[in-house]
Amino acid sequence: MDPSSGSTAELQSFLEQEKQKAVLNELVGKLTDVCWEKCITYAPGSKFSSGEVSCLSNCAQRYLDTSTLILRRFQNMQR
Amino acid sequence: MDPFGAPPSSLSGTQASNEHMMGQLKQQLAQAYAEEFFSTVRDKCFTKCVPKPSTSLSGSESSCITKCVERYIEATGIVSRAVFTALPR
Repeated sequence: MDPSSGSTAELQSFLEQEKQKAVLNELVGKLTDVCWEKCITYAPGSKFSSGEVSCLSNCAQRYLDTSTLILRRFQNMQR
Repeated sequence: MDPFGAPPSSLSGTQASNEHMMGQLKQQLAQAYAEEFFSTVRDKCFTKCVPKPSTSLSGSESSCITKCVERYIEATGIVSRAVFTALPR
């Protein structure tokens, strides 16, 4: 077995993994940014209210739904 | 630091150079993530806590900033969990 092919594969899977992490990291950063603006209307206190917690969580999930919906719309337009 | 630079001479062979490169890349990525996070939190908390900048940060502004940083970190965790439950696995 060629030793260099094994290590190239290793490197490739490492890069693929890091790329995936970077995409997720950016998504979470973006969503936190958007949802912070939407949900945290007052100066932050020592603790989130339960309303703020559920707003952040719902906001993130609905943003993803919105993204799916719009993507589907765009795909339909291309046909 | 250059992630694609040559490994130090103490390491030899593709295996060692790969490991070296991956380690460096991980470290650089971690630093880049941290810097971006810092910049975002600074932006958010400055906007929230220092609406009218005066000659110095007041006590209440400082304590607002401290709480704001903690809350932003917490918010990141909440959003992160929401994303991971929503993602198809």
